[in-house]
Amino acid sequence: MMSEDGWYPVALADDIEPGTSTGTRLFGRELVVWRDITGHSHVWEDRCPHRGMRLSFGFVRGSSIACLYHGWQFDAGGRCRYIPAHPKLDVPASIAVERFASAERLGIIWVFSGDPSGAGTPPGGNAETMPVRSLSVNAPAISTVAALMKEASLLVEAGASGPLLMLQACGEPVYIAVQPTGAQETTLHVVVEPGSDRQKVSLWAEALRHTLEAEPTRSGVTA
Amino acid sequence: MTGLVLHDFELDEGCYKVRLLLAALHVPHLRSAVNMVPGGEQTRPPLLLLNPLGTLPILEDGAGDDTVVLRDAEAILAYLAVRYDAARRWLPDEPKAFGQVMMWMTFASRDLHAAVLARRHAMFEEIVDGAAMTSAARRAFRVMDDHMTMRRLDGDVWFVGKGPTLADLALFPSFALSRDFSIDHEAYPALRRWMRRVRSIPGFTTMPGIPDYH
Repeated sequence: MMSEDGWYPVALADDIEPGTSTGTRLFGRELVVWRDITGHSHVWEDRCPHRGMRLSFGFVRGSSIACLYHGWQFDAGGRCRYIPAHPKLDVPASIAVERFASAERLGIIWVFSGDPSGAGTPPGGNAETMPVRSLSVNAPAISTVAALMKEASLLVEAGASGPLLMLQACGEPVYIAVQPTGAQETTLHVVVEPGSDRQKVSLWAEALRHTLEAEPTRSGVTA
Repeated sequence: MTGLVLHDFELDEGCYKVRLLLAALHVPHLRSAVNMVPGGEQTRPPLLLLNPLGTLPILEDGAGDDTVVLRDAEAILAYLAVRYDAARRWLPDEPKAFGQVMMWMTFASRDLHAAVLARRHAMFEEIVDGAAMTSAARRAFRVMDDHMTMRRLDGDVWFVGKGPTLADLALFPSFALSRDFSIDHEAYPALRRWMRRVRSIPGFTTMPGIPDYH
């Protein structure tokens, strides 16, 4: 991926129900995030090797994801195991989807961008959290983070490469994981500690989005 | 014609809203296929005499002088709910829920019209400002996603109340079909979840662009 190596958030774990998938982007690169029926989440290149269709348009069946176009089924290892048009074919191992190292932490699904041998674990420790929401913001990640710092007081910044902020916002400690979705788009994944007022934090986040998108564009130009 | 007749175009999301409710209510009806694209059949007599606006859907119910003729999906939905849903699940009587359903029905016909036009621009080359319509559709989807985010935090899964209503049916097609005009579902997690619930409504039917499975 065209980015600094590191862990990046791609979804709230709670938003990817077992047996479902979604598309997302990281630095503009299209990814599919899906969860098999046994509960394991996967982050892959969002592209069927057959005709290039986005796998996120397809559907999860058991522990496989199938392409909407021609039903090619890929197992959790990314290998194509079944081609409906050639039901007796022993599919060659070379037909596979690129997978990325991923993990769940703080109730967030993270993907590692870069050489996975040095991945380690995502930032944030093992604290128990409750999901609030993911929030798409029409602004670059760097200006979003800068504006975020002005809006709330920073509690902890976890790791230089980990885009995880812990803030004090509307009287609650709030974790915000920053996903640089595209050049002009950022997704903020918001979680809180158990017992927090999630409705209040969600409304705070909506107001925050309004502020972030109203920021003068010069803050984006410095990116 | 007698009985219930829907003048229908398979690819039109307004017609699809009506088909969804008819299926959910199990109301026997006839579907009269209209060549809307490319024919523009609804803009000429005889259909133009039923609806001078030259749009679909059009519903006819009854026979002879007592025949009810209605246009516009939301009006047709409301009529069908009052006429054929004795339990009033789809259009609640209770004032607050009724008001909220009407609010989202208005939103569906007014604010989501941009999504309808963006889709027609992408699929049928209708001459509108496609980029402006797509931006307006994104703003509307965000309003819906924010609403369903709060609903979820309150423990609810439908737009209004504790069960599916006309609000859900009126709002569903434009979002479900948004990939037709290049708006992906990725930025709307609460709507993705809601969309799966809508698919689980007994009698749910699909249309081209909305896969059967998910």
